[in-house]
Amino acid sequence: MNQSVPLSLDLKHMIIDTLELEDVTPEDIDDHAPLFGEGLGLDSIDALELGLALQKRYGVTLDAEAEDTRRHFASLAALQALVEERRVN
Amino acid sequence: MEQLRLSEWLGWDPLREENATKDARLLPSDKPGVSLPAMLRRRLDNAGRATCDILAGLDPEARCPLIHASRHGDANFTLSMLKALANQEPLSPTRFSMSVHNATLGVHAIANHHYRPLQALGASGNEFNALLWEARGYLAEGHGAVVIVFSEGTLPGDYIDCTPHPGHACAVGLRLSLTQGRALVAEDATPGAAPTPLDIIDWLGGCSPRLAAAPGWRLEEA
Repeated sequence: MNQSVPLSLDLKHMIIDTLELEDVTPEDIDDHAPLFGEGLGLDSIDALELGLALQKRYGVTLDAEAEDTRRHFASLAALQALVEERRVN
Repeated sequence: MEQLRLSEWLGWDPLREENATKDARLLPSDKPGVSLPAMLRRRLDNAGRATCDILAGLDPEARCPLIHASRHGDANFTLSMLKALANQEPLSPTRFSMSVHNATLGVHAIANHHYRPLQALGASGNEFNALLWEARGYLAEGHGAVVIVFSEGTLPGDYIDCTPHPGHACAVGLRLSLTQGRALVAEDATPGAAPTPLDIIDWLGGCSPRLAAAPGWRLEEA
């Protein structure tokens, strides 16, 4: 990854590219809006895809059964906090 | 036995000019998928998107059983998953979830709140006749009309010369009933014929008088 790009923007690009979101730009993703359901409108398959992308890009491994996984995926800001805490790449 | 009748048809052929058929019912070639919301459209390739547009056009009120056939399915995604497995890489959950043959019908059904029967077929080159046989069964059960769609996506370069293919992505759909439209008249079989969606568009559009298949087909005179 490009270290000069802020993590928030890098995550937005990762989400858009990984999930093939048409006509969505980084500016369209509110840091604090829900990623799933009413917010960006992602679904459960997207959650799995994002989990894989986080592992590949930042070395962050998530347990799909863990209670706090839902919290980490609540918004872009929550995802950013997760990556900052656990990243190995 | 009552004959199948063609009530309506639509085609999608991105390389064909609109005036290339005498009876043009070709969907716009660019940006297929207008019948789908963006969040569902992203899951399908162009052939899948065109298939959904054809289904929506021929069954706008979501009342008909729908049957979709593709000889190869989404071969690009399938091959990319096989390559990932060979390289011991994790599979994309999205690609895996869409790798079943009825995925396109599923996306269409979600987008259009379609709750009638759905069926997906592959028939090693005999897709068109397989679609007709299955449609005949639904009509015999009492459904008023059935919509069938036959599509092919682009073929990965690794598979070219290994299997018959129309050469580019394309799709064609027919709404069939026992009471409305021109009858499909069975003709002598052409051994080994494996009609593609492009052959069916040629036939329905009037560019060829009969469809070479086993059995072959012509349309009753109007």
